[in-house]
Amino acid sequence: MKAPSSQRSSELDQDFVNGVLVRHDGRPGALLAILQEIQQNNPRKYLPRETLSYIAERANIPLSRVYSVVTFYALFNLEPQGRHTVCVCRGTACHTRGSRDLLDNLVMNLGLKSGEEGERDQLGLTTPDGNLTVRTVACFGQCALAPVVEVDHVIFGHMNEQRMQREMKTLEKREQQS
Amino acid sequence: MTRIRDLSTFNAVRTTGLGKLRPHHVRIAVGMGTCGTGNGAEAVYSAFADAIFQRGLDATLVSTGCFGFCAEEPLVNLYSPGQPLVILHRVRSEQVNQILDGLLEKNIPEALALCKIEQWDHITAQIDYGAGYPMVPLWNEVPFFQNQKKIVLRNCGIINPDDIEEYIAVGGYQSLYKVLIDRMPELVLEQLKASKLRGRGGAGFSTGMKLEFLFKSNAAQKYLICNADEGDPGAYMNRNEIEGDPHSLLEGMAIGGYITGATKGIIYVRAEYPLAVNRLNKAIAQAREYGLLGQDILGRGFDFDIELVEGAGAFVCGEETALIASLEGRAGRPRPRPPFPAEKGLWGCPTDINNVETWYNLAPIVARGPAWFTETGSTTSAGTKVISLVGKVRNTGLVEMPLGTPLSQYVYDAGGGAADGHSIKAVQTGGPSGGCIPHDLFDTPVDYESLAKLGSIMGSGGMVVMDDDNCMVDVARYFVEFTRSESCGKCTPCRVGLDKALRTLTRITKGEGREEDLVELEELGRMIRDTSLCGLGQSAPNPVLTALRHFRHEFEDHIRAKRCHAGVCLELALSPCENSCPLHMNIPRFLQLYKEGRLADAFESVIMDNPLPASTGRVCQHPCDNRCRRQGIDESVNMREVHRVIADAVLLSDQFEEAVGRVLAKKRKATGKKVAVVGAGPTGLTAAFYLALLGHEVMVFEAHADAGGMLRYALPEYRLPNSVLDREIEIIRRLGVKFTFNTAIGEDITLNDLGSQYNAVFLSIGTWKESQLYLPGNELAGVFVALPFLEAEAKAEPMQLGNHVVVIGGGNAAIDCARTVVRRGSAATVIYRRDRGDMPAIPEEVDAAEKEGVRFRFLATPHRIIGERGGVKAIEVTKTRLGEFDTSGRRRPVATGEVQVVSCTNVILAVGEDVDRDFYRSAGLTITESGMLQVDRYSLESSRENFYAGGDLITGASNVSNAMSYGKDAARNIDARLTGDSHFDGLIPTFQYDQTAPAEPSKSPRHHAHDLPVAIRAKSFEEATTALKPEEAFEEACRCLRCDIRDSAHFAVSHR
Amino acid sequence: MSEQITMRIDGQVCTAKEGQTIIEVAQANGRYIPSLCHMPGLSADGCCRLCLVEVTGLNRLLPACTTPVRNGMSVVTDSERLNQNRLMALELLFSERNHICAVCVSNGHCELQGLAQQLGLTHIHFTYNYPKLPVDVSHPRFVLDHNRCILCARCVRVCDEVEGAHVWDIAGRGINSMLVSDLQRPWGESQSCTSCGKCVQVCPTGALVEKGHAVEEMTKRNAVVTQLAIKRGTHP
Repeated sequence: MKAPSSQRSSELDQDFVNGVLVRHDGRPGALLAILQEIQQNNPRKYLPRETLSYIAERANIPLSRVYSVVTFYALFNLEPQGRHTVCVCRGTACHTRGSRDLLDNLVMNLGLKSGEEGERDQLGLTTPDGNLTVRTVACFGQCALAPVVEVDHVIFGHMNEQRMQREMKTLEKREQQS
Repeated sequence: MTRIRDLSTFNAVRTTGLGKLRPHHVRIAVGMGTCGTGNGAEAVYSAFADAIFQRGLDATLVSTGCFGFCAEEPLVNLYSPGQPLVILHRVRSEQVNQILDGLLEKNIPEALALCKIEQWDHITAQIDYGAGYPMVPLWNEVPFFQNQKKIVLRNCGIINPDDIEEYIAVGGYQSLYKVLIDRMPELVLEQLKASKLRGRGGAGFSTGMKLEFLFKSNAAQKYLICNADEGDPGAYMNRNEIEGDPHSLLEGMAIGGYITGATKGIIYVRAEYPLAVNRLNKAIAQAREYGLLGQDILGRGFDFDIELVEGAGAFVCGEETALIASLEGRAGRPRPRPPFPAEKGLWGCPTDINNVETWYNLAPIVARGPAWFTETGSTTSAGTKVISLVGKVRNTGLVEMPLGTPLSQYVYDAGGGAADGHSIKAVQTGGPSGGCIPHDLFDTPVDYESLAKLGSIMGSGGMVVMDDDNCMVDVARYFVEFTRSESCGKCTPCRVGLDKALRTLTRITKGEGREEDLVELEELGRMIRDTSLCGLGQSAPNPVLTALRHFRHEFEDHIRAKRCHAGVCLELALSPCENSCPLHMNIPRFLQLYKEGRLADAFESVIMDNPLPASTGRVCQHPCDNRCRRQGIDESVNMREVHRVIADAVLLSDQFEEAVGRVLAKKRKATGKKVAVVGAGPTGLTAAFYLALLGHEVMVFEAHADAGGMLRYALPEYRLPNSVLDREIEIIRRLGVKFTFNTAIGEDITLNDLGSQYNAVFLSIGTWKESQLYLPGNELAGVFVALPFLEAEAKAEPMQLGNHVVVIGGGNAAIDCARTVVRRGSAATVIYRRDRGDMPAIPEEVDAAEKEGVRFRFLATPHRIIGERGGVKAIEVTKTRLGEFDTSGRRRPVATGEVQVVSCTNVILAVGEDVDRDFYRSAGLTITESGMLQVDRYSLESSRENFYAGGDLITGASNVSNAMSYGKDAARNIDARLTGDSHFDGLIPTFQYDQTAPAEPSKSPRHHAHDLPVAIRAKSFEEATTALKPEEAFEEACRCLRCDIRDSAHFAVSHR
Repeated sequence: MSEQITMRIDGQVCTAKEGQTIIEVAQANGRYIPSLCHMPGLSADGCCRLCLVEVTGLNRLLPACTTPVRNGMSVVTDSERLNQNRLMALELLFSERNHICAVCVSNGHCELQGLAQQLGLTHIHFTYNYPKLPVDVSHPRFVLDHNRCILCARCVRVCDEVEGAHVWDIAGRGINSMLVSDLQRPWGESQSCTSCGKCVQVCPTGALVEKGHAVEEMTKRNAVVTQLAIKRGTHP
């Protein structure tokens, strides 16, 4: 196996990765924690393949197992994420209070291709301009406020179509200003 | 750094903590759990901080977890020395100054005060706050908290979760200390077994026994794991527990470590719960600092430490072997057991895995003993369970009640029942592994065994309430969609079987279901349950199997009738209004045609959907109003009034002949088949209209002298003028329908006669028999029954009335009687045993009656009628109060014993109508258990071949549009039977009209019909409500959001 | 030494050693229990669910490949209930991906096909999923055809446990699970593959095959792999 060279990757911060690997060595759940931390450190919140190769090599874990873990857990991304994230809760309480309509309308209004039938609970769609990612979560545990939507990590309870549109406009403005 | 090594240090810390909890100055605690911050608690907190700083107040400001009533967040606790702890609800930052102003004068803003706590039982300690504020209810006097017993949630929302000293102040870590001093792990294990504590994560295995397995293992390394990967959608108690009281978890695990010999604990927590992770990290650091975790705990030579691991979003990791795989750095795929984790767990070492809530019960059991613990709960399930009560109830939040508490107490008492205008259908327990329990089984106790008997499970304690707006097929599909996408994919039945089940359920929700699908789903479900590798697959079919068991008719409606009554399955409905209309009128179409100025087309659209458009335009119960999506913007579109305008504009004008011509042109050529319709009420007239159009020869038999049934004989002239009804009946006559009046079935003609003379018979006799209400004195002259009273009025042979008439009842008939009485110049009082909101009458009618001077006495039930010289002198009524909720979701009136006398001259009994069953029985027709005529749900055929029935006869007293829908369906089915073909849909006209949705909702608010001034209408039988003006009707039509055009959904607001 | 125990399989009294699994004892005593994922010499996975058996006194069905025998245990390997479940499991496998036997190199030598014939599967009640799946021909000697894969994970185990290369793993989850080599790179570009071909030999269907075979020509020699595994002692 070729040694991963630092020239090859602009996104791979080897020192950071090495630090993370040392810190978690031997701990329970180490691989998950390592991947989470490294993804969090990535500006586009994803795990590029070269990063995965590097982790596998340094931690002496088979490549296919790393890939298996990354594709098994919903939190890991193999693709770059949008600068903003809207996360629609698909928990039961939210479902009974209309979260599917909210999600479908949001996806449609953004011109994204909605997931195939049955794929809606594993959604992760990013607009072509990389501005916004729409995700779903199984449940935020905010059921008393259903339906719940998280916009850039801020929870909005009792969401409806109008509020959603308002929040989208706010995001747009924020994006234009920056 | 205060490392605790002896009792005196421990007690010193405790005293410091107590001083923080009950300081010598004001203490303000803002509920900052995730539910609080989601409701704006952060703004409230900083407003308090600013205000305290600006005023230079001597006050402590802290944040706490949630006290459980999540819907009322932000909750704020106020404490001033010597006074009770007051909990304020729905606090907004603007109110902060007002609160502080009041507080300094020991004045509590009453509107904001939810409840107070004078003394709190932390189980491990009691804290007295003080008495006072008489106007504020005690916490357990608030219905939401009334039956709660907080063992697990003992500290949540009261102590500051970030301060270990406050936890120690309320008796925290005392149980751990006791266990370490006693040095008798076996004894503690015995106590745990005796306490009958069972795992709170799902299966309910004895916690004591589980820990004993680990204790008995000689392995050098053992692990304790807390499963805080709470992934059940709809359950969030673990999040609240950790956010509100993280140390209880640490203490429980440390006790577990000591009694099993494990030195290492791991908490596996969802990464989606950042606040819980944060608070746990802080708590672990503090516990280490105080010598309560780590080496030589409390100076007693015991080593135990806890690590936090964040999950990465996989529901299956709630399964213990998957969780272990995940901790070992692999994908969370379960492995078969045996070996069980207690033998071979994490890295091959013996491991015990328990749910968060289980650990929370350890310290209380150690502190108070097993006998105390078993006092609460049922015989097999001791203690309490925290339930997250969410979905379609008024009060949502966390409810901790003893195990064995019936479901109704959760849904109705704590939850407060359904929102206005809705009724509760079912409750879903146990999330994707559980099932739906219908409301008629709400007396089921919530414990492991009882829920399992119904095919559901307790699970982690999620309880999602569903109302009539929720479709059970959709709910079943939703859960399978969830488990299918969370299936790890390792074993065949779960991976492929759930995918197949989802495909079948999706087909059904799209109206493409097949009759054999249901049996196939059951077989597949059983196979997945019996053969899957882990708990996820084994329980994943439960939502489908329970839905099929308790709500099979909803599946059949989707498959056979292609209907989703809840209006959820969009493919089966044109629009929410069309779906809610019993006659399934194409409402968006007639609104649009009217908007385009095409009156004749609009009328044709209306009458071909609904043969009595002017009558229903006046008296329909308008269920469409409750489903209109425009409600999300302002108010629903006034659809009923627009179709009244359309109907009146044609029926009562010179356009009548042209309109009749257009209807007659649709009549099919004669089939030579003869159909008898029994009863000329709305149901019979509807059936006759369509049967005649379909080319059959129709004879209607009617006991009265004229057609119209209840519309003519029960509805007073001021609500529905006979001239309007006559026009509608004229169209039916001109279609060729013949009538035989003054002919009562069973008396003048028998069913056998009809059977021999006609190819098919449709029975549509309404409910003309009065329900029996036994009331002493009802034989007196001057006591009338509603229907005969109204009928006499309609026939212009009115009954004699005195100056004050009491009407008993709360339905439309009662209101009609009272308003008639007023018009006859007498005073009228309506007496109803429940409260105003529970009246079945149309609310607009009740309001109109009140304006006309009708008086109402709610919560009173008649006791006896007092006579004088053969007439009525007064009526005695017993006051009632509202008791438990009944199966209709309304509170049952309970007599209080307080009797009042209302003097009056007449009493009218309007307590409901009934079917006259006797002659059906004698005619050999089967009657259902509830006393209705039995028919096939879809074909409407009775137990006798070619005899169909519909309307009130099979449903009990209902409303006009509902009754008419049976006439429509019967005509379709009878025609199909007689001709062997389906012609019905060919009758429905098609129109070309604009199919673009409005870009923006029109600005106009809802237009209401105009009531005649009270002074005029209360004295006359003239129609009391006049129609909208044409321009108003036009604006109303423009308000429609056109949900029938599917891509218009972009501003259509989702249902509540 | 492990203790000798006595048990019954379908009424027949069998002796066994403690620690053996039901399927091992059954095989030693000439009782056949259907299975697709189990293979002597590899660790047991318990994923195909075809080897489920009834154990007297237990309501739950247990996988014969992972359940250890106990003294006095009485096992039923063939019953109406078991047969129904096995047929349905096969139906699910057949309709999950694209098993078109007539054009498959393993036709006639396929364990899935053989089991279907043996259990009398004549008709698939479920609608076929017909997924669009790739065929990886990048390896010079072998082919991976996802259309034929039943996710039994024998290849994953043999590569990890016997060859020690861990080229294969299962990516994704649920119905979207897929066999992957390395970071889902073409097999031919795999840096960890030793091209030993063990995965091909243990594959029960035509998912992993050697190049250059026509329809019906591909036969597998998994017994060789079992012997090797036992010789190397990679599995007890």
